[in-house]
Amino acid sequence: MERIGKTAERLAEKYGVAYYELRVVRVRSTSISIQNDHLEELSENEEVGLGVRAFKGAWGFSSANDMKRAGEAIETAMKAAKLLKGSASVYVGDPVRDEVAVRQEVPLETLGIDEKLVLVRDAAKALKGEAIKNRSVSYGDSVKEQLYINSTGSEIRTVVPRVRLYIASTAFSSGDMQRYWKAFGGTGGFELVSNLDLNEWGSLVSLKANELLKASSPPAGSFDVVMDPELTGVFIHEALGHAVEADSVKNGESILAGRIGESLGPEELTVVDDPTIPGKFGSYVYDDEGIRGRKVEVIRKGVLREYLTDRETAAHFGVRANGHGRAQDYAHQPLVRMSNTYVEGGTWETQEIIEGVRRGLYMIGDKGGEVDTATGTFTFGAKEGYLIENGEVKGHLRDVGLSGSILGVLRRIKAIGREVKVSFPGYCGKGQWVPVDDGGPHILTRARVGGLG
Amino acid sequence: MIGELAGLLRNRGFEWEIYWEKGRSDSFSIERESVERAQRSFFSGVGLRIGINGRTGFSYVTGLNHRREELESLVKRAVKLAKVGEMPFKGFPEVRKPARVKGLYDRRIAEMPFEEAYSLANGLSERMRELKGRNQTLSGGLGLSVVHRGVVNSNGIELSSWETLLAFSSYAVEMNGGSGSGYEWNSYRDLGALKEADAIVKRSVELAGDSYRGEETKPYEGELLLCPEAFGSVLSILLENLRGDVVYHGNSRFSEPGEIVGSDLVTILDDATLPGAPGSYPFDGEGVPGQRTGLVTGGKLKSLLLDHTYASLLGMESTGNGLRTFRDTPVIGTSNIEVLPGKDDIEGFDGVAVCRLFGEHTANPVSGDFSLPVELAYGRGVGGDPMKGGMFVGNVFELLKGIKGIGKRTVRKGSFKAPPVLVEGRLF
Repeated sequence: MERIGKTAERLAEKYGVAYYELRVVRVRSTSISIQNDHLEELSENEEVGLGVRAFKGAWGFSSANDMKRAGEAIETAMKAAKLLKGSASVYVGDPVRDEVAVRQEVPLETLGIDEKLVLVRDAAKALKGEAIKNRSVSYGDSVKEQLYINSTGSEIRTVVPRVRLYIASTAFSSGDMQRYWKAFGGTGGFELVSNLDLNEWGSLVSLKANELLKASSPPAGSFDVVMDPELTGVFIHEALGHAVEADSVKNGESILAGRIGESLGPEELTVVDDPTIPGKFGSYVYDDEGIRGRKVEVIRKGVLREYLTDRETAAHFGVRANGHGRAQDYAHQPLVRMSNTYVEGGTWETQEIIEGVRRGLYMIGDKGGEVDTATGTFTFGAKEGYLIENGEVKGHLRDVGLSGSILGVLRRIKAIGREVKVSFPGYCGKGQWVPVDDGGPHILTRARVGGLG
Repeated sequence: MIGELAGLLRNRGFEWEIYWEKGRSDSFSIERESVERAQRSFFSGVGLRIGINGRTGFSYVTGLNHRREELESLVKRAVKLAKVGEMPFKGFPEVRKPARVKGLYDRRIAEMPFEEAYSLANGLSERMRELKGRNQTLSGGLGLSVVHRGVVNSNGIELSSWETLLAFSSYAVEMNGGSGSGYEWNSYRDLGALKEADAIVKRSVELAGDSYRGEETKPYEGELLLCPEAFGSVLSILLENLRGDVVYHGNSRFSEPGEIVGSDLVTILDDATLPGAPGSYPFDGEGVPGQRTGLVTGGKLKSLLLDHTYASLLGMESTGNGLRTFRDTPVIGTSNIEVLPGKDDIEGFDGVAVCRLFGEHTANPVSGDFSLPVELAYGRGVGGDPMKGGMFVGNVFELLKGIKGIGKRTVRKGSFKAPPVLVEGRLF
């Protein structure tokens, strides 16, 4: 490593590069997937790679997974930075020397793949149920050891273990099929999944898949919508989170550009992105630019307060970087990304919120979403829903899609529940994938619902 | 090193397969019409699958320069996983002649110095500056890559191929009080496609202008035109159901060939042999020749997408759709999807036309129900009275059964090629 550091120093001088950073990563990972007792994937691997970034008014980047090419990768990144002749600036900050390992109660490295396979098989068995045609379980864990160094003298060693377990059932009846699923996990050891009551969760998932067969398609139109904590999470991630990533703001691609200080929602609304929550799937201590992750109040009391930044966008906006520069792996450049994004609790009880709706929909669970930050249009799917009539939860609904404009739907938030849940681990895509979590309380707003009913 | 690894595996009393890759990729990211990020990355690695006593194991290692001990350790890991895992092993493919597919490799891309690649990206950013409209900012990217990949197995397969790729994209945003956006992209195999760059930038500029001017989508139910891109969004919900593994595990709408998928006007192919197409290949990730497969012909399910394992499990033949990198075992995927053109003169249709949708991954591929936001539609034929927002709702199986017309001209976007179609649909 010392040799690589010296090579970087020498080449930085040769190409006149003032700022550079190197990430040397070793990842040990396990993947297991099973469908209907048929083992589809079982792998245990270790990978080492190097990512190099150099800045000279613009970024040059290179990576290699063969460490014999480390010198070539460093030189390529430096050359690229010089070639670009950019005029941007970068937040450098003070050098940091630190060593952090995320705690694991049951360290992933101490378990054999056969022990992990037992858990996966148990989870698959638990997905029993009438009319269940497909039972599917996937398990993935990784322990990422990263050494980050930069030209200011920072040297940060981190060890971040992550685990995720996904269970799903597909129910079939009279030519109709419905699927339901649940994911668990976070940063930490095997305890994050070994302590789950698999029988309880498995039965619930299969029951829900079955019940959805009897559910109706939702009506189409604009409705009052009560979102459960999981759906609130994807809503705030898609509708707001992407639009406050400072790279899209800087590039003129966000509808929230120039709106810091503006009121976007009710006073009760506070939205946070926080990588420091222990154990969550989107948590980390340092981002991939060697900046300590910080809790950011994106919206406080309804007012837009702060964008999520990396080193470059922080310099552009003249602020301190808040530790949101994340990369999928050593072969990708860090981009501005979310971590754990959620809406803080309000003052309403869930029942109170539902009782206040004359005609609307109660929507539950996250089926993924997408946003166009420039026009502010977003969409996401819910796993299931219920009609609400005169404050009472009634008919069961399936295949529910929601769409709306960021500004409109935030303004129309009428109630925010007390109880917050942030435990919906997933992956966010933006050309590259990073682990995230999101959530919040129940909230009531108004949005466009798509359906065939 | 591949020869050395194969030597280690011979006469061990088990079957084996080596999949290897070595390549380089360049990418340039353009922000506000300037190249802001440049990247050249190198990758290489080897994936090893073995089959012992009806069970299979897989492991990989990055890089192509390894000592004998490291190779032994790779073999040991794969053997251990085969013993632990009880993953069923259905043998490896036998030797067959790979497909002859022209136009997959351009030496100019493979050997391009980084400086030259940068100057192409810079040229693209300059054209963006020249072509952008009022109140517009443009971003996008250029990517160039080359990969040398190969498969060797214990049945005697020994194949390798060189492939190159060129891709560019342009994203235009128009803001001035209101806002609009337009995204256009495509990918190619040869450098000659650079001449398409201007058209891509211009199209994104046009789309952003239409989006900016677009009124809120009005509720509508009736005959409408689905542009090829929007048809592609809807069709992707169907394609998930045609994968052999999805069918085998009971997660598909369909169970066997012959079932009705759509109107008898509909024919959908998966074609790995299209010359110069981004999804083409001479052989798949396990050495099965790439082929032209009729997935849906005359509205009926003709074939599933299959790799060797699921073809064996279903008692069928592999269609050469086992796609992979060295890090993974083969996964069933598409090569180039082509919807054959029809005979209908619908390009001049002057009613509601839905041209861009998004969020198709939120739809339910099993039930086929979808409700997708409208990124861009038109009230009076393509180009007339732009509309945005609102949702296009329906069921993909019903939509395909109710197709009323298929256009004569196809549009290719990456590895998807389709004409516009006339359907009954609902917007609100």
